Amino acid sequence: MSVAKILEIAARVGRVTRRYPYQPPLLTPEFRGSIRVDPSRCWGCGACVRICPPNALTLKPSGKMVALEYFVGRCIFCGMCAEVCPAGAIEVTKEFELSATSIEDLRTRLVHRLTRCSVCGAPTWTEAELRAVVKASPITEEYAAICPEHRRERFAKAVALRLGAGE
Amino acid sequence: MSRVNVARALRAIRRSIWVFHLNSGSCNACDIEVLDALTPYFDVERFGAKLVASPRHADVILFTGPVTRESLPKVVRAVRAMPRPRLILALGSCAVGGGIWWDTYSTIGGFKKLEEILRESGIEVDRVVYVPGCPVRPEAIIYGLLLLLGAVEQKARGSEVAVPEG
Ligand code: SF4
Ligand code: SF4
Ligand code: SF4
Repeated sequence: MSVAKILEIAARVGRVTRRYPYQPPLLTPEFRGSIRVDPSRCWGCGACVRICPPNALTLKPSGKMVALEYFVGRCIFCGMCAEVCPAGAIEVTKEFELSATSIEDLRTRLVHRLTRCSVCGAPTWTEAELRAVVKASPITEEYAAICPEHRRERFAKAVALRLGAGE
Repeated sequence: MSRVNVARALRAIRRSIWVFHLNSGSCNACDIEVLDALTPYFDVERFGAKLVASPRHADVILFTGPVTRESLPKVVRAVRAMPRPRLILALGSCAVGGGIWWDTYSTIGGFKKLEEILRESGIEVDRVVYVPGCPVRPEAIIYGLLLLLGAVEQKARGSEVAVPEG
């Protein structure tokens, strides 16, 4: 190709180079960046933790609390967590400027308070999840706060009583 | 172990950063994005970055992949061959935290683990910038490189928030 032809093409096409970071990035509508968990909507149910392929989301219990930890350094930006979240708490953002000089800067934690079983005192669910369950189903908060084991016990007792009364 | 003035070295290479691309067993998508960043379209050469063929010539290693067991000895040799200060850009979620291969038997799970192995072998790494993405966008690579050079502010901040009361 002759120089004249190259110059002609260059004049026609003009400059193609993106000037990022002095120009907005080239984000397509399909692009998925990091996720954001809305603290006021998350239940702490762990559905996102179960689905997350690389285990970027984890639930870490410590005493009376349990933290939903998002480690963006392992996220593969699949958006599956946003799809399964029953509370619609996860938003897939377009954020990609995630670089950090320390790996700890890549972790964000959302700390939930745990409820205790009203019979044995063992940690049961998170407060937010308890509230959501009571709101969505016809059970009382008092019943929902009991751990599965004592709920079974209570149920067995109730059945035994009924059978006893039927005789 | 010797000390290196990283800030001074960074000032010296500011407009002429020679990069070496080191693939430690990535799926190749991050490597394609490295190529993208080098093409005239994203043109990382605007900042003076130039791809070199040997780690002996490199200022920065563009590190991709979760470090497979097979690649580990070669990766260690390549990093050892690099002159001080050793600046590393860990590109992609594989290199940062093991990514989708975080618990497979055949990888060691990213740069953090590699750093421990390097330290045990007496190889010091002077500065690392972790660049998440799967794959990393070319702009994310540019941003990471500028962060390494200190030309942009770091946006990522680890945080811990409590859910609001009932
Ligand atoms: S409510 Fe949504 S974000 Fe919160 S733990 Fe459950 S699935 Fe995850
Ligand atoms: S986007 Fe995918 S990889 Fe990232 S946290 Fe959600 S489920 Fe996990
Ligand atoms: S971070 Fe994702 S795109 Fe990059 S090498 Fe790993 S799996 Fe491939």
